[in-house]
Amino acid sequence: MFESLFLYPYRLFTKGEFLFASGWPVWLLVFVSLALVAAVGYLVFKQHGDNLKGRRWIAIAALQGVVLCLVLFMLWRPALRVTALKPQQNVIAVVVDDSRSMLLKQEDLSRIESAKQLLTGGLLDKMKSRFQVRVYRAGENLERIQTLDAVTGNQNTTHLGGSMKQMMEESASLPIGAVVLLSDGSDNSGGMEAETLGEIRRRRIPIHTVGFGAEKLSKDIEVIDLDVPLRALSDSRIGAAVTFRHYGYKGQKAKIGLMADDKIVSSREVALGEDGTPQTETLLFNAGLAGARNVKASVVKLPDEENASNNAQTRLINVESLKPRILYVEGEPKWDFKFIRRALEGDRNLQLTTMLRTTQNKIYRQGVEDPKELEQGFPVKEEDLFKFSGLMIGGIEASWFTPQQQAMIKNFADRRGGGVMFLAGRGALSDGGWAASSVAEMIPVSLTDRKGTFHRDPATAELTEAGRDSLIVRIEEDPKRNEDRWKKLPFMANYQETGPAKPGATVLVDALPTSKGRHPLLVTQRYGRGRSVVFASSGTWRWQMSQDVKDLSHELFWQQGLRWLVTETPPQISAAPSKQLLLDDGNVEFRADVRDKAYNPVSAATVEARILGPGGVSAMLTLTPDANQAGIFTSKWDAPKAGSYIVEVLAKNGKEEMGRDVFTMIRQDGVAESFHAEQNRQLLEGLSRQTGGNYYTPATAKSLPDDIAYSEAGITTRETKELWNMPALLMALFGAKAAEWLLRRRWGAV
Amino acid sequence: MAMNRHLRAICVVLLLAGACLAFQRRGRLPFLDDDDLPEPYPTDAAEKTEWVFARLRYNSYRQGAGMWGVRGSWSTDYPKAERHFAQGIRRLSRVHVRSVEEVVDLDTDKIFDYPWIYGVEVGHWDLTDSQAAKLREYLNRGGFLMVDDFHGTIEWEIFMRSMSRVFPDRPVVDIPNKDAIFHMLFDLEDRIQIPGIVMFYTGNTYEQDGVKEKWGGIYDEKGRIVVAMCHNMDLGDAWEHADMPQYPERYTSMAYRIGLNYIIYSMTH
Repeated sequence: MFESLFLYPYRLFTKGEFLFASGWPVWLLVFVSLALVAAVGYLVFKQHGDNLKGRRWIAIAALQGVVLCLVLFMLWRPALRVTALKPQQNVIAVVVDDSRSMLLKQEDLSRIESAKQLLTGGLLDKMKSRFQVRVYRAGENLERIQTLDAVTGNQNTTHLGGSMKQMMEESASLPIGAVVLLSDGSDNSGGMEAETLGEIRRRRIPIHTVGFGAEKLSKDIEVIDLDVPLRALSDSRIGAAVTFRHYGYKGQKAKIGLMADDKIVSSREVALGEDGTPQTETLLFNAGLAGARNVKASVVKLPDEENASNNAQTRLINVESLKPRILYVEGEPKWDFKFIRRALEGDRNLQLTTMLRTTQNKIYRQGVEDPKELEQGFPVKEEDLFKFSGLMIGGIEASWFTPQQQAMIKNFADRRGGGVMFLAGRGALSDGGWAASSVAEMIPVSLTDRKGTFHRDPATAELTEAGRDSLIVRIEEDPKRNEDRWKKLPFMANYQETGPAKPGATVLVDALPTSKGRHPLLVTQRYGRGRSVVFASSGTWRWQMSQDVKDLSHELFWQQGLRWLVTETPPQISAAPSKQLLLDDGNVEFRADVRDKAYNPVSAATVEARILGPGGVSAMLTLTPDANQAGIFTSKWDAPKAGSYIVEVLAKNGKEEMGRDVFTMIRQDGVAESFHAEQNRQLLEGLSRQTGGNYYTPATAKSLPDDIAYSEAGITTRETKELWNMPALLMALFGAKAAEWLLRRRWGAV
Repeated sequence: MAMNRHLRAICVVLLLAGACLAFQRRGRLPFLDDDDLPEPYPTDAAEKTEWVFARLRYNSYRQGAGMWGVRGSWSTDYPKAERHFAQGIRRLSRVHVRSVEEVVDLDTDKIFDYPWIYGVEVGHWDLTDSQAAKLREYLNRGGFLMVDDFHGTIEWEIFMRSMSRVFPDRPVVDIPNKDAIFHMLFDLEDRIQIPGIVMFYTGNTYEQDGVKEKWGGIYDEKGRIVVAMCHNMDLGDAWEHADMPQYPERYTSMAYRIGLNYIIYSMTH
């Protein structure tokens, strides 16, 4: 339609440069047009101004003016100047995606078969009639092929960016006129590098893309993500957040399972929500003994599912045999002190050291490593305090600590990265003068200035909205059952008014006194490298004493809460990979954070990584200090094989070992292709748009050979396409004249 | 007629003399009478505190036979012993203590609000099966029981008749000197037998055949003492008569220290 009115396709107008072929100046056209319009207006007014009502003469004059202007426009010979490829002198690169996702079928035809059918159905011949055509297949690398039979869909990965980069490098001396990419857009490398894109744009090579595959699968469920911690304490409860999405199964049930080292550790049946909307379910499981743990989350295949190979995801967790220590300082004997100690006695992975002020001048210590430890009271040196991973401050006044010790408490979270928990009591929080202390800034609530905030009155605990989603307060695996269980907990023996939570802090549990009101009970926040918490009651002992001895609510609450407090506390040497899951690409960066005993960054250290991988892979690397960040050491490495890797990072200061850290990572090949299997039209369209090409569907690709011709890459010629004879112009001319004639007949001005 | 009058007069005199004799407590020492004078009720009795002296009320062995009257042996030294002791705890430690006691029994769940309980004269207690089960549940949840003021072989056997139904599988052992319970607030390796006021009558620091004091205990599976026994001793008397000049100070001091150590232990283990 467009072409029949305007002589040429729309794309030509977008690419071409408009000009007047007569060579006469444009200002003259404007001047003459204005003069003629004025003259016509004057003549029409003079001739018909009296016998036409009102301002009808203006319409007649306008139509006559339009006719004259159009004639003038045509006399000036409008034209388009376009750059076109010279026939038979340019190369068109046809790239066919050869990855496994192209084998997915739609209406009994795989994507690869559709692509081949399109090419062999005339497209290739049409291109060959005007250009030299080279056919490539793209997978992990780009490879030139002689026949389409070589495209089988057996490549594990698609690196479109890498393939285009290779194309640019190999064709530097070739007159590439355009690239035609036939793909589903399923790319595993995260898109195209800016450098490659820049090179393509510099050479002005348009990439025309043809997209295959449905943009939305009709019957599929896919595990989008499996979120588990990189490391965990042995025998601890871990939450695995499984995120999945489905198409076509709304309202149906699906069974999610979790396996650790090939043993089922948790499963749940879930109701599926809206199509295409990600859903997340958290499954809890025991980390088990120390070692690398392979965790796999899967959804059982649903009836008629199109792609069952995207129903599972795997991660690796490094289960550590560490026993983090927590220092608990309490100002007076209280029942919660005893019951918290008892709760942690059942936790093999936490070590609780306590200092209890039994009289004004006596401290009773428990859980010390040797009789001398903490003999002189609360540590006065950072290295003595920073041996601990967590710190609990009970009902003890701020003034009991020296200003230096208060600064150490802040640094414990801020610099050391530990967790600090503030508990309730007669000498705690506002009643203990903490609001006026320098430590107040790290407490996640804005403490009130008044005293008398500690009440020995019963209060129940209620999960907030954030608490319902949090694993810290999950004493039942199922969120709904967990909420119910919290509601059934006996009341606490006391509570403390804290003031409101600070911006950025999260209230997980509220205290509801049986009298009235609501106060934040459990509030958490990040503070520097660590975290701080307030738990505004010392009366949870009733959860233990008022429930059956087999009920473990109290134990689980404290074990989980205190594990959370210390799990992320970094060691002196902490190392991690840039990504723990390497999909088809082994390139990874190791990063180590090296600190001294007071947790100040150390740049003058020797940091080495020892890597053990599958099939006897073994390597040793030296990490180099980052010039911009003190204490940070990095190194790049390429994991050569698919499988699990264990990396031990060792830091030395001279010959003295400062510490070591171990992490794990996993490389998976051929798995990513199964995910996000629907056509990634957004990526293909973006690629075309950024390079000056066009996106086509198989149905619209017929015009591709003609469109290809107009390119600024390769060997080109400049063509001028005259526009004066466009049917649209002639139709406008006759239309204006006909309208004038009709109006004059109607108004009696013939 | 005159004979009858004389007879009636003699009867009245005899009756009065008998009544007077009946009201005489033979052998009662005068200073003990002074000690029984009631003390003013503490003004801060309603204070809400962390720790409360919880006295265990139980059924006495053969109580139906009237051996202990209507009140039973559980109330021996009540309430003076605990009120004196509460003052001592306040003075000597940072435990937040209520000035008055609470009486609890094994027939309701109120006992679970008091993780430390004291049983006196348990050589006379007689727990039913349900009471024994409740005491077991209480101790397993984290409660602590201190028993005191029972003496000799017979009272031990009576005590054990009920105790062995609470914990059929846990033996009573002598708490070793090195156990933390003797080193909480005070180092009490050198302990002495703490007598009741019976020593004023007998001149001995023991009663019946309980010549040697026994610091007994029952441990749970984690090695924590959950029942502490002061057998052949009477700490309750030592607390009760702490303000009596005649009662030797060394016994009271030891009783306070033992009691405090037991309380702090129960709040830390």
